[in-house]
Amino acid sequence: MDVAIDVIKLSKEYKNTSTLAVDDISFSIEEGEMFGLLGPNGAGKTTTISILCGLLQSTKGEVIIGGMNSITHSDSIKKIIGIVPQDIALYPNLTAYENLRFFGNMQGIKGTHLKHRISELLGIFGLEQKAKQKVNTFSGGMKRRVNLIAGILHAPKILFLDEPTVGIDVQSRKVIMEYLMTLKQVGMTIVYSSHHMEEAEKFCDRVAIIDFGKIIVHGKPNNMIEKYDNCNNLEDIFIETTGRSLRD
Amino acid sequence: MLKYLASTLKEIILLTRDRGGLAMLFIMPVALIIIMTLLQDSTFKALEERKLPILILNMDQDTFGINIYEGLSSSSFFSVIAQEENSQDPVGSLKKRVASGEFQIGIIIKSDASNRLRNNIRYNIIKQLPEEDSLFFGEMSIQRKDKPKIEIYFDPITKNSFKQSITSALNEFSSGVEAKVLFNVYSSLFKELLDMDMNNEGGFKKLVDIETLYATNDGQMTVPNSVQHNVPAWTIFAMFFIVIPLAGNIIKERETGISQRLKVVSGSTLPIILGKVTTYFFVGILQAVSMLAVGVWVLPLLGLPQLILGSNIIALILLTALVSLAASGYGVVIGSIANSQEQSSIFGSISVVILAAIGGIWVPVFIMSDIMQKVSMISPLNWALRGYYDVLLRNSNTFEILPSLISLLSFFVLCLGIAWRFNSTRKSY
Ligand SMILES: Nc1ncnc2c1ncn2[C@@H]1O[C@H](COP(=O)(O)OP(=O)(O)OP(=O)(O)O)[C@@H](O)[C@H]1O
Ligand SMILES: [Mg+2]
Repeated sequence: MDVAIDVIKLSKEYKNTSTLAVDDISFSIEEGEMFGLLGPNGAGKTTTISILCGLLQSTKGEVIIGGMNSITHSDSIKKIIGIVPQDIALYPNLTAYENLRFFGNMQGIKGTHLKHRISELLGIFGLEQKAKQKVNTFSGGMKRRVNLIAGILHAPKILFLDEPTVGIDVQSRKVIMEYLMTLKQVGMTIVYSSHHMEEAEKFCDRVAIIDFGKIIVHGKPNNMIEKYDNCNNLEDIFIETTGRSLRD
Repeated sequence: MLKYLASTLKEIILLTRDRGGLAMLFIMPVALIIIMTLLQDSTFKALEERKLPILILNMDQDTFGINIYEGLSSSSFFSVIAQEENSQDPVGSLKKRVASGEFQIGIIIKSDASNRLRNNIRYNIIKQLPEEDSLFFGEMSIQRKDKPKIEIYFDPITKNSFKQSITSALNEFSSGVEAKVLFNVYSSLFKELLDMDMNNEGGFKKLVDIETLYATNDGQMTVPNSVQHNVPAWTIFAMFFIVIPLAGNIIKERETGISQRLKVVSGSTLPIILGKVTTYFFVGILQAVSMLAVGVWVLPLLGLPQLILGSNIIALILLTALVSLAASGYGVVIGSIANSQEQSSIFGSISVVILAAIGGIWVPVFIMSDIMQKVSMISPLNWALRGYYDVLLRNSNTFEILPSLISLLSFFVLCLGIAWRFNSTRKSY
């Protein structure tokens, strides 16, 4: 299989901080893989994802996406990636449909094609009845679902999701994760971050646990569980490797 | 193009959903215009005319009264208003109006003044003739009458210099009339005495002509009235105030993560910025139209002068369009540079107020000190205001206001350039 994403010795130091938010990490993700970025609060997940999709400049290191250097080919890379940010990046005063139409247009989709795509996705995520309601009247879970749809309208080859299932009920989580699996089946590469270990264990081909900007362990969840004798699941490994202290 | 249109459409929908914000953009400035125009009306009247208003009751309605009245009216120092004579008690009403401060000076020319003047002059002449000649006129019966009378009422707060100027003006005019009457009496006496017609040609023209002119730096300076200043001034001010919603809009997109999302999906941020500029540009135009309309149709209802739009509508439209562009550009720049809503709304509003103050929106530039007049030139609001003065007061055409137009356009382009650079190099979101 081809490599979709190659991260080589990546570091990020924010201005006016003394520590590295991302500290010399290297990993690669294969095409069609579902890759989980796990880690406590402040571990550097969002920072890593932001660098991967070209929103942040790294302090050191290199990122290759689809065989292209992330800095020199940022425009070509933009065409094949999609992002679902951690925050709800929607206009609260627009309806779900208006939001999606706008982001669809921004991704270069238009007309009936876009219309069909929007109603298809709204249908899958159980929102077809709510299409004409303003997003600020939505529940948290509904907003998350629209937030997700906005990132996949253009069916990107590589999709980044930053905590797509945070703060939502079991039903919504199930719909989201199952849809991500169908995307994976048609060949989409998916990179996602989460605090939900069970979910990651169940759906991800491989995961990386990062803390203080460093990758602590990475690999297939099952292999990792086998490696740690006293651990029965990913959550145990997570606590084992990152400790019990609280983070900011 | 698709991105630009989508962005514009989205902004329009967002704006129309924000009824409160929209109302603020239109209702507040209209209130501002009405209040400021009413407040400054009298100040501007004084400035505009620099004339001392005087109230005159002319009870004579003959040579003397008419001459004095016209003399005062044609003077560039007084503006003369006639007291209605058909009211019950014109004298009392005049005194009341002066006492109440409506006028600082009231003048009453008593009735019969012209007759008395003629009579007394004739009397004086005849008295000077040797007795037999005076008998010739059979005029021994002529009696001296009371002198014609002018009464002047001052508001107690009237400055001494005003009192002096009105008294000396009256002296000047009355001696002029006396001379005229004297001349007439003489000529009629000559006629009676010698049966000789005087050649009346030349009449009794003034031999010295004193022209009073104002010394201003700018020979063609035209001083606007309250409406002509305040309507364009506050229109510009209101148009520039769209920087607050516009900058807020940009920052909100950054804070919610929408701009990150857009940065990932969209190559350039320019169509998105242009979509905002387009929408707010039209908001500015609508503001201008509604405020100029208030000047034309509403202010007259409040007893203020009507706003005259001048004869160069194309110049007016172009100027308004460029003001609106400049304002949107400024909003985009502030939205791109500021780091938070608070920063942008505080910096945005204060900077607009400062630029307005410097630019002569609050206090017209022509009454500023020389230094401040120079400083005012750095304000885009001043370029705009100059443009409006030119179009509204001097009927300037597009070509003549080109300096204003070009400055505003350059300002817009500069703003957009800065904003674009800031957006594409901004590292922390
Ligand atoms: N704009 C910024 N400026 C300075 N420091 C930042 C900035 N953004 C993040 N950091 C710091 O970088 C580190 C990593 O943050 P990051 O948001 O990547 O963590 P995360 O793993 O996504 O956390 P969470 O699970 O809470 O979302 C943290 O210590 C954070 O305080
Ligand atoms: Mg995060």
